[in-house]
Amino acid sequence: METGLVSRKQAMAMPVAEKPLIELRKVSKMYDVAAGKFLALKEVDMQAEAGEFVAVVGKSGSGKSTLINMITGIDTPTSGEVFVASTAVHAMDQEQLAIWRGLNVGVVFQFFQLLPTLTVAENVILPMDFCDTFPVNERRGRAISLLEKVGIAEQADKLPADLSGGQQQRAAIARALANDPPILVADEPTGNLDSHTSDAVMGLFAGLAAEGKTVVMVTHERDLTRYFTRSIMLSDGVVITDKDKK
Amino acid sequence: MNSPRWKKLLRDLQAARGRMVMMVVAIAISIFSVGTFLGAYTISIREMSRNYLGTNPASAFIELDRVDDALVQAVSEREDISEAEATSWVGARAEVSPNEWMPVLLFVIPDFETSHVSTIAPEAGEYPPSSQTILVEREVLPLLDLKIGDAITIQTPNGAKQEIKISGTVHDPALAPAWQEQTVYGYITPATLATLGESETLHILKVTVSDKPYDLAAIEATVSELAVWLKAQGYEVHEIRIPPPGVHPHQSQMTSVIGLFLVFSFMALVLSAILTATMINGLLAQQIRQIGIMKAIGARTRQITGLYLVLIIALGMMASIIGVPLGTVAARGFTGVIAQLLNLEIYSDAIPAWVYLILFTVGILVPLLIALDPILKTTRITVRETLSDYGISRDASASNLRDGWFSRLRFFDNTLILALRNTFRRRGRLILTLSLLSAAGAMFMTGLNVSSGWEASLDQSAADRHYDLEIRFNAPVPAEQVDSLLTDVPGVEKSESWNLLPVALNRPNGLEIVRTYPDGGHGSFTLRSFPLGSGLIETPLLDGRFLQAGDTDAVVLNQNAKAFFPEVKVGDEIELLIEGEVKTFHLVGIIEQTLSPSAAYVLPETFASATGQPIELTNAVRIVMREHDEEAMASITRDVEEALSAGNVRVKVTVSEALLGEAISGHVYIFIVALMMISAVMAVVGVLGLASSMGTSVIERTREFGVMRAIGAKSKTILRNIISEGVFIGLMSWVISLPLSLPLSFGIDYLIGMLSFRSPLPLVVSSVGLVVWVALIIAGSIAASAYPAQQASRLTVRETLAYI
Repeated sequence: METGLVSRKQAMAMPVAEKPLIELRKVSKMYDVAAGKFLALKEVDMQAEAGEFVAVVGKSGSGKSTLINMITGIDTPTSGEVFVASTAVHAMDQEQLAIWRGLNVGVVFQFFQLLPTLTVAENVILPMDFCDTFPVNERRGRAISLLEKVGIAEQADKLPADLSGGQQQRAAIARALANDPPILVADEPTGNLDSHTSDAVMGLFAGLAAEGKTVVMVTHERDLTRYFTRSIMLSDGVVITDKDKK
Repeated sequence: MNSPRWKKLLRDLQAARGRMVMMVVAIAISIFSVGTFLGAYTISIREMSRNYLGTNPASAFIELDRVDDALVQAVSEREDISEAEATSWVGARAEVSPNEWMPVLLFVIPDFETSHVSTIAPEAGEYPPSSQTILVEREVLPLLDLKIGDAITIQTPNGAKQEIKISGTVHDPALAPAWQEQTVYGYITPATLATLGESETLHILKVTVSDKPYDLAAIEATVSELAVWLKAQGYEVHEIRIPPPGVHPHQSQMTSVIGLFLVFSFMALVLSAILTATMINGLLAQQIRQIGIMKAIGARTRQITGLYLVLIIALGMMASIIGVPLGTVAARGFTGVIAQLLNLEIYSDAIPAWVYLILFTVGILVPLLIALDPILKTTRITVRETLSDYGISRDASASNLRDGWFSRLRFFDNTLILALRNTFRRRGRLILTLSLLSAAGAMFMTGLNVSSGWEASLDQSAADRHYDLEIRFNAPVPAEQVDSLLTDVPGVEKSESWNLLPVALNRPNGLEIVRTYPDGGHGSFTLRSFPLGSGLIETPLLDGRFLQAGDTDAVVLNQNAKAFFPEVKVGDEIELLIEGEVKTFHLVGIIEQTLSPSAAYVLPETFASATGQPIELTNAVRIVMREHDEEAMASITRDVEEALSAGNVRVKVTVSEALLGEAISGHVYIFIVALMMISAVMAVVGVLGLASSMGTSVIERTREFGVMRAIGAKSKTILRNIISEGVFIGLMSWVISLPLSLPLSFGIDYLIGMLSFRSPLPLVVSSVGLVVWVALIIAGSIAASAYPAQQASRLTVRETLAYI
């Protein structure tokens, strides 16, 4: 599987790896910006195991979002390798990435990014629809149970605009869990929430990690560190500390 | 449709109702315009042919000294002749008010019931006409403001002025409408003709050939053989008229209109393509972040591509459902106008299936093909690119040079400078919007420019004539006598003796074969003489020189006459058949005469030697009047008529400048109607395109407006910014469309002019077009950007920053 080329069926039947679930090897990322070239990540090495709740912290522009984009395959490294569940993410094309991501990684955004014209339940069903994962007649039931899990089942048939920020983020988490991916990646999911709601959302992520999901989260809110099992600090595209709390 | 992705599609459609409606309307308008022009084309061409062929038009009209029943019988029995009939044509005139005359063409039909060559259809009143009555073509009644039962005063060349009752009307689809030709068409029996003072003897033999009835060469061969036979039987064969077989006299006019329609159909199609591309880009711009999110949660490119392609197909179908019926209704309506203008009967307004196929292709396939590229491009953008597209794009930093230049615009406030900068931010879309608006503007202006070109041609043709009244005499009269009679008429400024005589091309068999239709006007070719130094013929010289003293056998042809001699150059000799005799002339020049039939000009000496008519005689006079208002001209015409009558000079026909002007403008009116309609369609498409582009621009920059609001911009500022941007784009397109309209107008002027009169229409820039389009574009820009601007200015800062 070192080539990283996987079909949807292969991806679904992927065995639990003996290697780290997430592994970045000397990953660099260079962007062309108006001022010239900007090195967002500099030969970053990183590993994460199943069940870890990893915080990626650092100042603005330190490369946090770039790092998690490497894990989700949303962005590709300029050099280096990214392996997630033994899959060479860096070697996949966009089409393969879409299939792989839909099955293996749940993505949660800062601004929730629910599709505004779909109800909350439909938003949750959407990844199942795209990846053709669960039988059609079971999808709604699964969506409702996921919404129950995040505590907003009663909001299932509302449009995202009718929900509060915290509820929308819970819906986004439910959507990220739709295909039961082993990994959840969240980019400042509490950045747009008040402290009370943030705590509730963080509690959810912590619970998921406890259930065995690997959660990688970008944050710069220091008071949330209690939830994480590990904290990676980035500065100018370089990992400066990697603290395991276990 | 239970799948959430399809639900999303449906709800997106619902949520962006305004935009979707606009897109459907835009495509529908494109289908409508193509449908109108293409539908009108198919119906008109078919019905015109059906009308004309329905009369069983004669292949040839042979003018003999006499045509009797025995001859008709003998000719009918010939193998090479399918049908034969006798008839006569008599040119007369009708007094429409005291001493005011209009040309009359009398068709003499011995048996109305059994006539089956070049037939007419009864319309109202009696058929056949009872004794001493006349049937008129149906368009004559409105022209003369008469009704069945009224009397009309007619004078034939050899008869006295007489009143004759109109007993009914007929439809003669083989003739151009009476109002266009400013001629009264009447149908009488030989007996009635006799009461009008003419001989009952018929002298025209109408024949249809058995073999290849639509092949000109075959007809000419058969008819030539028949003519030789007729001569051998002792008949005098004068002129043989073989009009273009199966072709209506206004077919060239119609071909021009149809050509125009086809050109504009194609342009409407191009415009529709650009408009659809603009709309689709706008739609995708709105969806780009959602596409990113869907891809982030597992959607594959082809799933998303499929979604948007289905959306485009659905919109195209909706547009087709609206546009196709409207287009067909408009096509039928427009054909009705054409039919009325050309005096045609629409027997069937069915539009062929291939037109519907094209329309549905235009409605569905064209948007789909156009959408394919932007859809593929958008859906192939990586998730990172889509999610980082905040509307403040890479293009935003496009040109420091340009931005620096804008910053130095001290006289404008910051909002206007910002609007100017915004205009150039999305270069791709700006180019698309400008293409659409400029194309629409160019077509709008072209429509009006070509229309003005027609009007200028009319003015030019009036200016070329330099005279106010032409009077043709029944027989040549001494020029001196005419001069002395007219000298005493107070309103006459100047009179010139002219001569006009129909001529034919010389053929090896010596037969006088012309291409003239029965109406005597269409396809006619005349030899004309005028006094040397005449001030009444000054037209542009295309080649060679004009006639001068000492020219004894020199001839100058106008461009229509030159077309009869495609191989001949200035300096060569040409041969003309004049009253049965071959005469040779030296071609010294070619002149351009706008909207004029074929004519060959010679000096009076040349005319006299060629025709044998004594030089002191004249058969026509052209008069310049002292006053030019309508009433005065009518009064002078009456005085001239009286003076000539007092001198026993019998008038064959009086052609006033007003009558000629009306006849010529009647031919042009249809083009102007067509061009105006085309322009209106183009204007609607253009404004819709701008609305779409502005809507898209606002959607893309919603976050930016949030930022502006957050740092203190008032709603009014945002509103002004967006509207200013719309107006800038509108004005830029106007600047582009003006030079674009020039080659377009030139091309269409050339095409239409050459098709109609073998002379390109002049390129005229319509000031009305320029002003109306700039006004329309400013008003349209404001209207198109006002709604999205208002929507954007109403959003709260939080809403705009969270905009997905």
